[in-house]
Amino acid sequence: MQVFKLCMKIARKNMPLMMIYLVVFLVVSLVMTSSLAGEQKVEEPFTRVKSKMAFINEENSPLVEGLREELSKIAEFVELPDETEALQDALFFRKVTYILRVPEGFTGKFMSGEDVQLEKTIIPDSAGNVYIDLSIDKYLNAARLYIKNIGGITQESLVSRLQEDFSLSAPVKMQAPAGRQKDQSYARFFFNYMAYSLLSILILGITAIMLVFNDKGLRMRNACSPVNATSINVQFMLAGAVLTVAAWMIMVMCCLFFNLENALSINTVYFILNSFVFALCGSSLSFLIGNLAKSQDVASAVCNVVTLGFSFISGVFVPQEYLAELVLKIASFTPSYWFVRANNKIGEMTKFDLSSLMEVFSDMLVQVAFAVAFLGIALVAGKKRRYLE
Amino acid sequence: MFVHIFKYRLKCLLRDRANIFWTMMFPVILATFFYMALSNLGSSEAFKPINLAVVDNEHFRQDLQFKNVLEQVSSGDDRLFNLFIVPEERAKEMLEDNSVEGYIKADTSIDPPIALFVKKSGLNQSIVKSFIDDYLQTQSAVKAILSENPGKYAEILRDLSERKNYLKQVSGTKANPDNLPFFFYTLIAMSCFYGGFFGNREITDIQADISPLAARINAAPVHKMKTFLYSASAALLIHLAELFVLLIYLLLVLKVDFGPKTGYVFLTTMSGSVAGLSFGAFVSAVVKKSEGIKIGILVGTTMFCSFLSGMMNQNMKYIISQNVPVLSWINPVNLLTDAFYCLYYYDTYRRYYLNMAALLFFIVLFCSCTFILIRRRRYASL
Repeated sequence: MQVFKLCMKIARKNMPLMMIYLVVFLVVSLVMTSSLAGEQKVEEPFTRVKSKMAFINEENSPLVEGLREELSKIAEFVELPDETEALQDALFFRKVTYILRVPEGFTGKFMSGEDVQLEKTIIPDSAGNVYIDLSIDKYLNAARLYIKNIGGITQESLVSRLQEDFSLSAPVKMQAPAGRQKDQSYARFFFNYMAYSLLSILILGITAIMLVFNDKGLRMRNACSPVNATSINVQFMLAGAVLTVAAWMIMVMCCLFFNLENALSINTVYFILNSFVFALCGSSLSFLIGNLAKSQDVASAVCNVVTLGFSFISGVFVPQEYLAELVLKIASFTPSYWFVRANNKIGEMTKFDLSSLMEVFSDMLVQVAFAVAFLGIALVAGKKRRYLE
Repeated sequence: MFVHIFKYRLKCLLRDRANIFWTMMFPVILATFFYMALSNLGSSEAFKPINLAVVDNEHFRQDLQFKNVLEQVSSGDDRLFNLFIVPEERAKEMLEDNSVEGYIKADTSIDPPIALFVKKSGLNQSIVKSFIDDYLQTQSAVKAILSENPGKYAEILRDLSERKNYLKQVSGTKANPDNLPFFFYTLIAMSCFYGGFFGNREITDIQADISPLAARINAAPVHKMKTFLYSASAALLIHLAELFVLLIYLLLVLKVDFGPKTGYVFLTTMSGSVAGLSFGAFVSAVVKKSEGIKIGILVGTTMFCSFLSGMMNQNMKYIISQNVPVLSWINPVNLLTDAFYCLYYYDTYRRYYLNMAALLFFIVLFCSCTFILIRRRRYASL
């Protein structure tokens, strides 16, 4: 087992580099868990989404106070200092999506029926704003109706009448989806992110070993050793397999550990299976890169470009539903795309009948096909390279 | 002497392919990925008409007012809903297979007479609910007025039909709060600090105790500072050229919006390049460890600073500027990013100048520390 031992030694030597990716994975996971935990949605009963807005009030009157109260049903008010830069920053970084300013003298003019307007500063075309627009217009239009048609109405009585009207609310009934208990969005995120970190670790680890073995002098020396070629190859593959399985297992453990409460479901089994298929595919891709790269510099450059590139375009960093059609078409030439696609389907799965499972399996099959293709190209490339030398 | 050193240094650096890859090709490739992944992101916030089904029953057909209002907001380019008027069974199916966000069912025998059926709580569902509430509440207001003033019926109808828009959009600045360009600003800032690789190499090749090449150069009868400055200017030239390639790629190929002050963007990038280079030299002079560790520290610091300035998550920059403002002023990558941001987003130059002044301070700091560390070294033995 000399070859195997040597492989492990090389892997150990490259451990710090690989650890970086594991640590990044862990940190990102932790950050995501904490940020996702805050916005976890209560599925039942129906709850209204609240948009974040800044309400800047240049005058105080019962009418404006009433508007503010009505808006509080659909908006979360964020206190901001009334300074251009602070407001602009908050809008740019989406601390608020809507800034409403009630100009001075608004109430007086409004009550006497003059044309007045509130000022809004928004992120153009944003969906949350449609919602706030509707509510403000509703409030003021109803108020106008009262002012015009009931002579001499006071602000106080206007507001109390409006409050009464606005207490009416349409009932919302939830049509419960068939038996979905566990929230799979964390699991989906963790497993998708593996497409970046696991692939990085595999490429780094396996190419590091191959670069050593592909050294011409070393290979010639090995060739004249009394160990036969089959044994060398078998040990070599065994080392690759151990490395792959070890990296995969550590990552899966992390995924499960961070998501313990939701992990006990059938979905998890398929997540794990899918990630294993991806790990196989990743190791054969690494084998290919190891066969093509001539130096460590080249290998690390290729590793970064491949892992980042795959992850960006196939929906690891940015969810697939936000990617353009064309980008996804290009991404379908990468195994990561199929891995992420299968994960997304698994995350959505509520019933495990044959037709929904077939969809997942077909995505896995594409990954296997990629694995075979990479392996084939790698063998041809390796052979060619040895002939050329 | 300048020409000689400059020329050979230029050749030398250009042949270092790994360095050229990381300082030029990598940012360009990363920019391409950013562009591919993020260019569609704005549309995720954008409002798209909501698919909504209405149960086609007797109650709905008779409630002409509601029908009219619903049809009114479901037509035209800025419509709220894509409306499907279908039998109840079909509406249920459509909700089940997610082809609508919810469906409305009118039933005058119950109070309130309109109910909404959904599968989950979300923004779109909330908008539909708001719409229905709006209708019900306005109706209630009309009833209240009529009970006091029965004669006003015609007037109220007229008032209702001319619903007023009480909102006027004002924008704080000329630029859109579109945060796609921001990703590219952090990328440019990061590339500027990748210039640290060049700075590091300049020190490695001039400090006699680090490399044999440097030992030989130190033995030559040229003043060390001169050699250093001449070869550093070759490095600076290459790095500037690389950054210009990146900027031109962003501007012309990816069509990133730099706002109206593109000239200033180039100027800022140039200062960033000097800052990056001097940062690398500084790290290399201070850290007396192996090449690998120096590179590790360079990349690590740059990435960490980029992270704090919002490269991976834009909110990071805002969170820090709100809670630990000091940290945004002592992070040179953030100073650069913020300078680009100010150029794009603000109409005034005040904060831009502040950023540039702080960046200048860092350049001076890095340069003078490097100068103190590398001058007049004598070695008894190497």
